[in-house]
Amino acid sequence: MAVLELQNITKRFGGAAAVDNVSFEVGRGEIVALLGPSGCGKTTTLRMIAGFEWADEGRIFIGDADMALRQPYDRNVGLVFQDYALFPHMSVAQNIAFGMKNRGVPRAEIGRRIGEVLGQVQLPGIAERRPSQLSGGQQQRVALARALVTRPDIMLLDEPLSNLDARLRLQLRREIRTILSTFDCTSIIVTHDQEEAMGLADRIVLMNRGRIEQIDAPHDLYQHPKTLFAADFIGHANWIGGTLARRGVGAGAVETALGSIGVAPGAVADGPVTLCIRPERLALVDDETGVDTRLAAVVERHDPIGADLRIWSRLTDGTLVQSLEKNIGRELPAPGSAVILGFRVADCIVLPGARP
Amino acid sequence: MNGLSLTKRLADAVFETAYLSLITLFIAFSVIPVIVAVVLSFDARGFIGPFPPTQFSLRWYESFMADSYYHDGLVTGLIVATVATLVSTVAGTFAAIGLSRADFRGRGALQAALLSPLVVPNVVLGFGMLIFASRLGIIDGMTRLIMGHILITFPYVMRTTAASLVGIKASYYEAALSLGAKPWKALAQVTLPLARTGILAGAVFGFVTSFDDVGVSLFLTDAFTFTLPVAILAQMRANLDLTIAALSVIFIVATVLLIVLLDRLAGLDAVVGRGVYGR
Repeated sequence: MAVLELQNITKRFGGAAAVDNVSFEVGRGEIVALLGPSGCGKTTTLRMIAGFEWADEGRIFIGDADMALRQPYDRNVGLVFQDYALFPHMSVAQNIAFGMKNRGVPRAEIGRRIGEVLGQVQLPGIAERRPSQLSGGQQQRVALARALVTRPDIMLLDEPLSNLDARLRLQLRREIRTILSTFDCTSIIVTHDQEEAMGLADRIVLMNRGRIEQIDAPHDLYQHPKTLFAADFIGHANWIGGTLARRGVGAGAVETALGSIGVAPGAVADGPVTLCIRPERLALVDDETGVDTRLAAVVERHDPIGADLRIWSRLTDGTLVQSLEKNIGRELPAPGSAVILGFRVADCIVLPGARP
Repeated sequence: MNGLSLTKRLADAVFETAYLSLITLFIAFSVIPVIVAVVLSFDARGFIGPFPPTQFSLRWYESFMADSYYHDGLVTGLIVATVATLVSTVAGTFAAIGLSRADFRGRGALQAALLSPLVVPNVVLGFGMLIFASRLGIIDGMTRLIMGHILITFPYVMRTTAASLVGIKASYYEAALSLGAKPWKALAQVTLPLARTGILAGAVFGFVTSFDDVGVSLFLTDAFTFTLPVAILAQMRANLDLTIAALSVIFIVATVLLIVLLDRLAGLDAVVGRGVYGR
């Protein structure tokens, strides 16, 4: 059963729709990421679920209850703000007690739960500190504890890791995941960082210009993007434009400036299309390698990126493409050398429309 | 080359000397009258003689204590300042909170109107309030004084509170709401404690302004209700003696005490809450 359901939500600021006919469901215990570039409407959607903004159209259900007339304080929603918003004039214990007092939890129970939740977020013994005496990572976990301790129906996290440095972000991503699953808490995470969404969420709602582009599990979103935007926003990609012409039912071919490229059968209609080939699916090949498509190219440069080497090559029509090679000491063609890049039919994603 | 740098150094020295002299002059200018008043208040002579006095006594303080005219002025002044400050603190705080949230056309104009007593001459305010009160049929001096003093203390509280609200992130209030606090509770437990430095500073400034005011009070006193500064002014015209110097010292001490109090409150905030802007 869905814990949260958004039905055709639209919100306009001035004349422009910040959120445009958005619908999705979140199941019990599920972690869903609202992902998209800034201004895509993800934060506005979060604020409507929390009750700080009102939808112009559509309905929001939490559990079975319609939220149409519910104020923020009448919704059982836990919120973690981007800046944590820990009350600076209260101790950690007072911060955590705040929500429980408002919800009428008995005094003895409040004391017990403060100790318990601080243990669960692995911060025992900091109850009497002030927020200003905590590190960014500790503040983040106290903010989580403050929201979780009221046992909310749903947790909303607004860019939870954006204020932390890269190393801490990776560590806290794992911890947040662990903490949320400890509480078995249904959660929505708003983020513009695809890695964060991929690492934290069971499903991703990808948004662009107020609309939902695609809803899928992280892996599927990467492997099977349905739109140019989805393929472009998640991960890296090589693009080849062309025209799809199906030969009867089944497999087809795309006519491109580089010749005809065979593609797998799919739902995309005949007409202008763009082929998306992920860098790790594009390989330096020789005559023996079993690939379906071979493209002649000239290597331009190598970028070492740690575990992999990113090789930039120019195709015969002038397109710059990238491919990944494992950084395992193998000798690679030097810049300037002519190479053959190859990929299989299954590696080639066909997307409707031409890239601008 | 060397000559040039010498000239430059000389210019720097001249500038520095001029700068220090100016500061010294300014301090002397503001402190000397205070010293003169303090010393004269202990003068044992019965007339205003040449400075410094030859003998000292507490006679002018005794004269102040014995004079019921000053006494009445002091009591009235304290009552007026206290009531006006209390009303202004509550009203000014809520006005500042309201304006900080509001988003409507004319918000700037409304704010300017509420702050306008700061720039309108007190004589104009006093005269305006006198006419206004008489139109309303209010002829009681105490009521008129309190009305007038609310007018001059209100902008101080509103302004300092508004300034401290700017530093309080909107997410604190929203966090309180999402934790189940009703709006009034979120205000009382989160917004107001975070703005308390501004509110207290405004209240202290307001109190001092009210206690010190002559311009507005002059118009609003009646025969039996007058504030201390008005009493001083009247006495100075009638019979000039050094009781006024003794009074000045009392004024100075009271003001210093209030400033120390303000510093304590603001300083305390820095220790307890790491201020409004602290992380």
